[in-house]
Amino acid sequence: MIHDMIAIVRDYWLLLLIGQYPNGPLGGLANTLILSALSIALAFPISILFATARLSKSPLLRWPVTALVYFTRGVPLLMLILWSYFLVPLLTGADVPSFVTMLTTLVVYQSAFLSEVVRAGIVALGPGQMDAARALGHSYIGAMRYIILPQALYNMIPSILSTFVSTIKDTTLGYVINVPDLTFAASQVNNQLLTQPFQVFLILAIVYFAICWTLTYFANRLERRITRRRAGLLNVSAAVVTPSKIVSEQL
Amino acid sequence: MTMSVSTQESQMIRLSQVCKSYGDYPVLKDIDAEVARGEVVVICGPSGSGKSTLIRTINRLEEINSGSITLDGQNIHASMRAKALNAMRSRIGFVFQNFNLFPHLSVAENVSMSPIRVKGVTADVAHEKALKLLDRVGLADKARAYPGQLSGGQQQRVAIARALAMEPPVMLFDEPTSALDPEMVGEVLAVMKSLASEGMTMLCVTHEMGFARDVADRIWFIDAGQIIETASPEDFFSNPTHPRAQRFLADLRH
Repeated sequence: MIHDMIAIVRDYWLLLLIGQYPNGPLGGLANTLILSALSIALAFPISILFATARLSKSPLLRWPVTALVYFTRGVPLLMLILWSYFLVPLLTGADVPSFVTMLTTLVVYQSAFLSEVVRAGIVALGPGQMDAARALGHSYIGAMRYIILPQALYNMIPSILSTFVSTIKDTTLGYVINVPDLTFAASQVNNQLLTQPFQVFLILAIVYFAICWTLTYFANRLERRITRRRAGLLNVSAAVVTPSKIVSEQL
Repeated sequence: MTMSVSTQESQMIRLSQVCKSYGDYPVLKDIDAEVARGEVVVICGPSGSGKSTLIRTINRLEEINSGSITLDGQNIHASMRAKALNAMRSRIGFVFQNFNLFPHLSVAENVSMSPIRVKGVTADVAHEKALKLLDRVGLADKARAYPGQLSGGQQQRVAIARALAMEPPVMLFDEPTSALDPEMVGEVLAVMKSLASEGMTMLCVTHEMGFARDVADRIWFIDAGQIIETASPEDFFSNPTHPRAQRFLADLRH
């Protein structure tokens, strides 16, 4: 079986890596990574805006964003994807490429999840930090930027990283709307071979696992460093400190 | 910012008919009081009497429902743009019970950050000033430490230095020693005493009656949202007039 898998990789590595490019659209692992990176890069700043809007005193800001976050978190991602895939062209008449549909849906979905992480980070600081900043004359935005967010985001790095990891896993759902990603390429390979689905999808699983496990590994290391730093033990060797419960593994 | 610094007027802070309630529950009832320039006022009273709320209204961390509070003739609770309010707040030093230092910044950065970000002082000048202030509160050697590495008393002294860095004409203290272990109270009070002796206008909520006796020019005794006795420390401690104040002092002696 291992020989089969090696043979599959040897024959189809280019398709798995970049899809049909340059004869067709870019696909494969390259597209999966691009889609993930773009989703994360867009979702992260939007999630901070969402979180601050949800904590805002103005109901005009707070209510629409709260409704959006509740709705998005309350429905399965696959349903959101199908909705935007079928509804957006119906409503706008525009022919939206499936990659853009998938990217937009992922950004909205992950922004909603991440915004709750960011909001939790801000709320967990307590009102004292904001009070102190305001008492010194900082503006609300200045206090957020220099005092609240640096702490809230730093404290939430492990959770933020695990949301990133789940974003990578979520890109596989693009398969249902024909986004040419790694899963799509693997299923093309499977359709050509017909007889070796187990081997093909095991390769697929190994690739995803390697990417996500690597990220999780770094998230855990970072988390341990943060724990040590908070305890004021940055210079003590790692072995001395028992790692705290690894929150990021639970997600 | 333009300010009407009236040199002939000796009042620094004036509260008139200040009322505040949380829902139906009145916290401050018709507070009328004044703090003169250079005066040290200690606010004392039983817990839940409104002391902390009162001091937090003075830099508008709490809003009031009616009345006015003026600093140097300027109404703090007037409707104003956020920028004007921030400028006003930067002229009122505030020291919290729980220090509220910024744990992600070093001690020196805690002190120098607000002059840089709020006043636009250059980093070099602000840092040099921060070191001087830390020296003044006896923590010159801790400039590069982080708040988490300091004791409570040290943290509170950094918090005082941080407030002083904005060069406020008034300092407000909200139970600055209540969260400290007993052996650390003295070091914080010593810094406050030296501030008072340099002529700083101070308003201080505290349970440290020794400090009140030694340092205060006047004591406000507050109960159920009202200032029911204003007296010099000698008078307040030797013959309090209001029965509630008498009971409070009697309870303290036990």
